[in-house]
Amino acid sequence: MIKLIEKIEGEAKLNFNFKEGKIDFVDIEFMSTRNIENILKGKNAFDALVINPRVCGICGHAHLIATVQALESCYENLELSNKAKSIRELTLNFELIQNHFKWFYLTLFPLFGKKQEILKATYPSQLMAKAIAVFGGQYPHTSYAIVGGVVCEITHMDIIKLQHYISQTSKFVEDNLVKTDSKTFLTCKDADALLDYEGDLPDILREIKKMNLLGHGKSYDRFISFGQNSYFKKGKSLKTKVSHNISLEHVKESDIASSFAKNVSFKDEYYEVGPLARAMINKNQLIADAHKKYGDSIFSRILARVCEISKLLEHSKKLIDNLDLNEPSYIEPSMDISKLNSIGYSAVEAARGTLIHKVEIEEGIIKNYEIITPTQWNLSGGTKEKQGVSQKAMVGLDDVKTAELVFKSFDVCSVCTTH
Amino acid sequence: MKKTKVLWLSAIACNGNTHSFLNYPFMEQFLEDFEFIYHPVIDSKYSLEDIVSKEITCDILLIEGAISKEFKRADVSVVKIIEKYSKIVQKIVTVGTCATFGGIFRESGYENTSGLHFDQDKQLKEFQYLRDKTISVSGCPVHPEVLVNTLYAIKKSITLKLDNFLRPKEFYAYTVHNGCTRNEYFEYKVDNHRFGELEGCMFYDHGCQAPFTHGSCNKILWNEVNSKTRAGLSCMGCTEPTFPKRNLFSTKKNMAIPENLPVGVGKRVYLTLAGITKAFKIDRLEKKLIDD
Amino acid sequence: MLKKKENKKELIMQAALELFASKGFYTTTIPDIAASLKMSVGNMYNYFKSKDILAKEIIKYISSYLGNKLREINEQEISTKEKTRKIVEIYFKTASLKPEMIDYFLRIYLSNREVFKDSCEGMICVNEFVTEIMIYFEEGVKCGDLREQDFFSAFGLFMGYLGGMVFLKGENILPKDLNDYIDDIAFNIYKALSAE
Repeated sequence: MIKLIEKIEGEAKLNFNFKEGKIDFVDIEFMSTRNIENILKGKNAFDALVINPRVCGICGHAHLIATVQALESCYENLELSNKAKSIRELTLNFELIQNHFKWFYLTLFPLFGKKQEILKATYPSQLMAKAIAVFGGQYPHTSYAIVGGVVCEITHMDIIKLQHYISQTSKFVEDNLVKTDSKTFLTCKDADALLDYEGDLPDILREIKKMNLLGHGKSYDRFISFGQNSYFKKGKSLKTKVSHNISLEHVKESDIASSFAKNVSFKDEYYEVGPLARAMINKNQLIADAHKKYGDSIFSRILARVCEISKLLEHSKKLIDNLDLNEPSYIEPSMDISKLNSIGYSAVEAARGTLIHKVEIEEGIIKNYEIITPTQWNLSGGTKEKQGVSQKAMVGLDDVKTAELVFKSFDVCSVCTTH
Repeated sequence: MKKTKVLWLSAIACNGNTHSFLNYPFMEQFLEDFEFIYHPVIDSKYSLEDIVSKEITCDILLIEGAISKEFKRADVSVVKIIEKYSKIVQKIVTVGTCATFGGIFRESGYENTSGLHFDQDKQLKEFQYLRDKTISVSGCPVHPEVLVNTLYAIKKSITLKLDNFLRPKEFYAYTVHNGCTRNEYFEYKVDNHRFGELEGCMFYDHGCQAPFTHGSCNKILWNEVNSKTRAGLSCMGCTEPTFPKRNLFSTKKNMAIPENLPVGVGKRVYLTLAGITKAFKIDRLEKKLIDD
Repeated sequence: MLKKKENKKELIMQAALELFASKGFYTTTIPDIAASLKMSVGNMYNYFKSKDILAKEIIKYISSYLGNKLREINEQEISTKEKTRKIVEIYFKTASLKPEMIDYFLRIYLSNREVFKDSCEGMICVNEFVTEIMIYFEEGVKCGDLREQDFFSAFGLFMGYLGGMVFLKGENILPKDLNDYIDDIAFNIYKALSAE
């Protein structure tokens, strides 16, 4: 049976094959593409900073950061201040947080028979958007990160404003998501203990338990994460064994006949990316405990995504405290882009996982541009013999409704996938 | 009061307008006054499949994204969906620059991709009969207040004065330059802007299009706090039919004279004024704004 | 009434220009100018409060005169090449018919900047003329005839060249009449600025 999965920043068609009453194989099809990579060809390299955020309305900022880092890696000896690095990291954190709130209250809630909590989604995500706008001028679709730094200068008053946005968001988490003080939640190491708390997250987790879905949605237990910054670590995790020595050259993108999306693999294997992957590689104790008890199931995946909100808020506070306002925001590159012939890569952690950009420049003009989005990793459509991560996670389920829940636990972004 | 029924239809889009809309500060009130029969993110009574297969009662059709008959939603061409709903709705709103002029995704490779009534600044014959029904709120993305207040104007049957591109003059008669905190550097031709500073104007070297771009970005701030030009990023001209131009971070100049001048200002007037102001050195504008 | 005053002012400036050219700027006094026009010195001050003010008004007058001539050229639907020739022509024609004007510009305005520092900063007093040169350049580049470059590198080439020729003529060094050089000079300038 074919089901059109809607409201995933677009749609995807899932073709379910049942065998003896259980899902045997799911074919995933994305029905369109927007050819961003072609649009970029022949354009001035810096124009990618304006075009690429428009890959996606919900995680466009990750595309900006990936673009600027890919362009910067084309230069030799490019100088970047710590302040600029931290500011970029902050705005990306804010975007991740914004995404997770929207996913939790808009996408996940209806899957548990609850009404969407639109205001609970928009209130904190608006605060995070404001925090981005303090630096970038607006959200969505700013291009404030440019080769050499960021365009903005930050004052003490801006910092105070930001701190208010962050503490207001933390307060929202404490009043709604997990009704306890942030410190208790952040230091909690027992996934089951969370079931005893009040709040929207514990409600959902209890619901999972009540519906006997605790172990559902397991896949390969194989995780990867390439984006590296002051919080996220680069690495892969195979059944809790973490190694940090991985290289982008083993990432391969390949066409599939049945869909406009492209497959992505690492050393010819499919890996899960996203908050669960990041938490496993970062060895987050709460998530490690959930993983120990429930594996790479929807329980762990949902918990990891929501938990990341608090972790990133906490880390952002530290980044702000450590900002040295005397550093320059921008250091002009010593070489003009029009003289540059080079190839550059970047990998950043977007809300849904590792986002990779690759650019080839000839005399400042884009010759080639490739984008690999997180959803491509998770939704790679393999054959029945070699299934993709989300495909595997749906195998063995009894019904399409649960399968949709498992599918959406990856926080699917159709527009990104069909860039 | 009855809720106004709105269909939010995405064509070739990035959903940027959808998420910009979610930044509207008075969402609770909005949802009491309006109901989406379909929205890309917000739950609706009907599924996309219902929308394309049936004819659901609706008051306003919102279109996001560039339009091509080749592009389908739930296996139906967006042009077909527009044709069906445009007949029954009271008003059509093209949301964002793609739906209005083609925008970024005009180049997405689908056959004849454009806005609803315009292919960049060229007026299209298709859908001409709908022109009287349409209001354009361009921008990449649209400003949430511009969109929402236009919807309220429709709900209240207010006749909005529109410009040649069907944009409400209340928002688009201004230039983005109006209200920019860097205005003085423009007025007095202090042309040594560097990125990463509070001071300076991006018009001279860094491609700022604010003086000839229509929009209220510096009048109705983004996310209620800032604007791109205030932050120090050039206006990319995202509300205009020409968006995206090329080489966006650098100012097109002819013999060092900017090719695009403030809208409505003649070259002779501009150069005369520039020549005069440039002759003076204004110390306050030459030094740091917040100095020791 | 006002027009009459303007005409009289113009007469005074013309007389002053001629005296500056023959006697020199510093040695010419307001009484000298008044005398040459058979005016009383007191009446003279009704028109110009000081010699410095007169000096500034004169440069504006010249700039306006040349600016208007250039504007006529700029507004014609002709190629940049033709415009170039016409500008050279009008400049040399002015230098021949009103040598005192160009002389004032080159010898007094450009070499006595201290006189012009208050309210004549930068190029304010020659704004009308410079604006038209800018428009000539800007339109030339825009239509693809001229090469994009810094304004001053192009301005210096054009005006320095013309000024130099007029200077040589003033020093009686030029063997031929200025007008005989128009074709070659227009060719040289266009070639130097051209996009090809």
